[in-house]
Amino acid sequence: NYFPWLTIIVFLPISAGSLLFFLPHKGNKLIKWYTICICIFELLLTTYAFCYHFRLDDPLIQLAEDYKWINFFDFYWRLGIDGLSIGPILLTGFITTLVTLAAWPVTRDSRLFHFLMLAMYSGQIGSFSSRDLLLFFIMWEFELIPVYLLLSMWGGKKRLYSATKFILYTAGGSVFLLIGVLGLGLYGSNEPTLNFETLANQSYPVALEIIFYIGFLIALAVKSPIIPLHTWLPDTHGEAHYSTCMLLARILLKMGAYGLVRINMELLPHAHSIFSPWLIIVGTMQIIYAASTSLGQRNLKKRIAYSSVSHMGFIIIGIGSITDTGLNGAILQIISHGFIGAALFFLAGTSYDRMRLVYLDEMGGMAVSIPKIFTMFSILSMASLALPGMSGFVAELIVFFGIITSQKYFLKPKILITFVMAIGMILTPIYSLSMSRQMFYGYKLFNAPSSYFFYSGPRELFVSISIFLP
Amino acid sequence: MSILITTVEIFVLIYSDNYMSHDEGYLRFFAFMSLFNTSMLGLVTSLNLIQIYIFLELVGMCSYLLISFWFTRPAAANACQKAFVTNRIGDFGLLLGILGFYWIMGSFEFQDLFEIFNNLIYNNEVHFLFVTLCASLLFAGAVAKSAQFPLHVWLPDAMEGPTPISTLIHAATMVAAGIFLVACLLPLFIVIPYIMNLISLIGIITVLLGATLALAQKDIKRGLAYSTMSQLGYMMLALGMGSYRAALFHLITHAYSKALLFLATKSIIHSMEAIVGYSPEKRQNMVFMGGLRKHVPITQIAFLVGTLSLCGIPPLACFWSKDEILSDSWLYSPIFAIIAWSTAGLTAFYMFRIYLLTFEGHLNVHFQKYSGKKSSSFYSIKLWGKEKQKIINRNFRLFPLLTMNNNEQPYTIGGKKEALITITNFGYKKAFSYPHELDNIMLFPMLILLLFTLFVGAIAIPFNQEGMHLDILSKLLTPSINLLHQNSNDFEDSYQFFKNVTFSVSIACFRIFTTFFLYKPFYSSLQN
Repeated sequence: NYFPWLTIIVFLPISAGSLLFFLPHKGNKLIKWYTICICIFELLLTTYAFCYHFRLDDPLIQLAEDYKWINFFDFYWRLGIDGLSIGPILLTGFITTLVTLAAWPVTRDSRLFHFLMLAMYSGQIGSFSSRDLLLFFIMWEFELIPVYLLLSMWGGKKRLYSATKFILYTAGGSVFLLIGVLGLGLYGSNEPTLNFETLANQSYPVALEIIFYIGFLIALAVKSPIIPLHTWLPDTHGEAHYSTCMLLARILLKMGAYGLVRINMELLPHAHSIFSPWLIIVGTMQIIYAASTSLGQRNLKKRIAYSSVSHMGFIIIGIGSITDTGLNGAILQIISHGFIGAALFFLAGTSYDRMRLVYLDEMGGMAVSIPKIFTMFSILSMASLALPGMSGFVAELIVFFGIITSQKYFLKPKILITFVMAIGMILTPIYSLSMSRQMFYGYKLFNAPSSYFFYSGPRELFVSISIFLP
Repeated sequence: MSILITTVEIFVLIYSDNYMSHDEGYLRFFAFMSLFNTSMLGLVTSLNLIQIYIFLELVGMCSYLLISFWFTRPAAANACQKAFVTNRIGDFGLLLGILGFYWIMGSFEFQDLFEIFNNLIYNNEVHFLFVTLCASLLFAGAVAKSAQFPLHVWLPDAMEGPTPISTLIHAATMVAAGIFLVACLLPLFIVIPYIMNLISLIGIITVLLGATLALAQKDIKRGLAYSTMSQLGYMMLALGMGSYRAALFHLITHAYSKALLFLATKSIIHSMEAIVGYSPEKRQNMVFMGGLRKHVPITQIAFLVGTLSLCGIPPLACFWSKDEILSDSWLYSPIFAIIAWSTAGLTAFYMFRIYLLTFEGHLNVHFQKYSGKKSSSFYSIKLWGKEKQKIINRNFRLFPLLTMNNNEQPYTIGGKKEALITITNFGYKKAFSYPHELDNIMLFPMLILLLFTLFVGAIAIPFNQEGMHLDILSKLLTPSINLLHQNSNDFEDSYQFFKNVTFSVSIACFRIFTTFFLYKPFYSSLQN
């Protein structure tokens, strides 16, 4: 049963997107509806493909496709998914559909906007499902341009600065990625082999592994923000239009984490085990640092951005703890944080749409005028701080277990790390609740515009999160 | 335990049905209350550390949501955040403790934990310091939830929520969650003497702190909050002494008495609203009250019964339980006992202070000589037009049903758009209005609680060693370990019992009389 599902899934958005340009320029509605239909169709296609063709017990790569693409390089077009990538792919599909829905109010240059959305969609799915290192790299790079364009054209006040920062950072990181890819591919054999499977079975001398690891780590550290290479994130998130933020924060960050798991864990296991204590330490520091920095932000979206960084810390810790449970927790956190963060950004964006206030000082007492947003926001804040009953709690708990049960480390550092992580747990409600408080509580009279409500997006998000119970 | 929760829940629900009937957030309120009920019941029926943790967090969240029910008041907003963060700190400790124990034992179930733990302790295989640390972390969770000494700061501020919330959460059930947690884990703690000492120490500090703070409160609800804190300290003390039965018994009796008191308080506040307006600074302020006995007699009786019960007057409920704790404390350590007994006297003192200030004497609103903290605000009631912004209260009297989403007092200047003149006319009428009695629906649960308070003490009359509740408890957990009762059979000897009893009762009565002396002349001198 060899139907090129994945290729279709990967290529459908972008090809459909290019059709966008043929649509008449007038009337945004058509464009929006078209995009949404494409997204939904894609999502359904993905789900169908996964439901019927994916056997959950099979550890090997499934739905694999193997085409020779560029003969010169022996470059294969290899796609395949396994348990690790299926989560993010579904997440991508779901979130991107919602993002397109959320981008409803964008009216300026909407063709380009939606095309870029769809392009990102393809790129993300491509990168999550690629089995070939170079393909992975290409897809990775492919993401940058749409984000840059999205950011610079539809962002906030400082958008050019943030966009430039973003592209410089990530491109700089990608250089390391390219070096690593080429190195891995060219090593040890006369012909370049870039296949994941082949590479996974190869073993390298430890020193070389370490070098590769560092290289990859730098690249991935930029993407999934690991301090100190995270500084592009708050700027970008603060300035981008909220749908871009959603996409960015959810998918791109997860690409970084996914890359960490895929490349570093699968291909470079020795180096990984050497580096994992450092990863854990960095992750722990990240949780606390980001949580504390979040407290001091005046910009609402930046605050949420820092909360993203903080949650990514959990993921990193989960990856760094070399246990199955830790990894499970990390993946679960990837997915759950994808939902939660997207929803938070969306709500922030919609409230911004209504209030036109970015800085938290000016906000206050909004709960009266936008009750539904307020309810959602409270629930999501609760979810973000890992309230039991929501997915975040389960994820964090499993990560905690991963740390505790990991055999590699001694007791004392474990205690310390767990302790510090748990401090992060205290800090999270402080900033998220104070965010809620500043925004919604109190009683400020100001000109509240009509609080019509944009139904479909948030409702779906809410449903998705509430359904995501342990 | 479940009986306690469900009965108190029912009454509060009935009560708040009427209370909230004119509130816009009615639906939200009941949703949260139901969520809270669920969490609480889940808490007491869980046999698993993780489950307890989950429900504790949920209960904390419900408390957050409910305290912030009238969130347009900035005080409420601050209070709810404080409550949640403080609870979170406790949960942080709890989580660490759970993880630590998991690491040692490899299991979460209570039964397994106790067995393995006992084995380990007997075989001396486990690192003692680590175990102590984990146990104290577990205890930290209870500290935050039950408003024990370092983490008690959220409880008085939690009174910003509606009074049914205060009843439910902060008098009867949620604060009981912490006690329940410690009681569940008591077999774990008993083998570690340091922890037991720590528990009793914190308990006794809380007792003293709560009692002394309650002495100085102007606000009724805050006074009751501190009194709750103090009683929780008693329970914790009892747990620390190992007399598990006494602690839980006191929990039950206190819950009923406190719930009764809070509901009565609500009716008082409700009556005061008619006079001094809607702001909680005024309507809960005991300074303005006084002489309500004539106006709200049923409430007065209820309040009196609750107060007497809490002070430990036989044959009401709290007497039995408190007495058990007090006599146990003699066996444990003399210092603690002295502190506990004197604080029992203090309890009587401040409870009766509250009672007297509220019900005796004459209505203070009519007095002009009061120089309280906000003298200007007081004057504004009598001399209309002096302080513009406080006049806004009048508005709420006039349009109680038309205010926007039931916010108490907008602290902005935006509300004073009304002209002053229209207000003063109404002011005249107000001086002759009297506090009125409650509706029947709200009275009914109060009366039922009153009955309960009177008779729930009969559950464990110490003439028979086994109280009724022991059976319930032993269904949930392994049979209780009552450390002190193994050592001494102090209740077999009725004479001894009566001696203890009379001593405690006499302390209580002495304090009551002291209160009378102090507060009665206060009033008589103010009678113009």
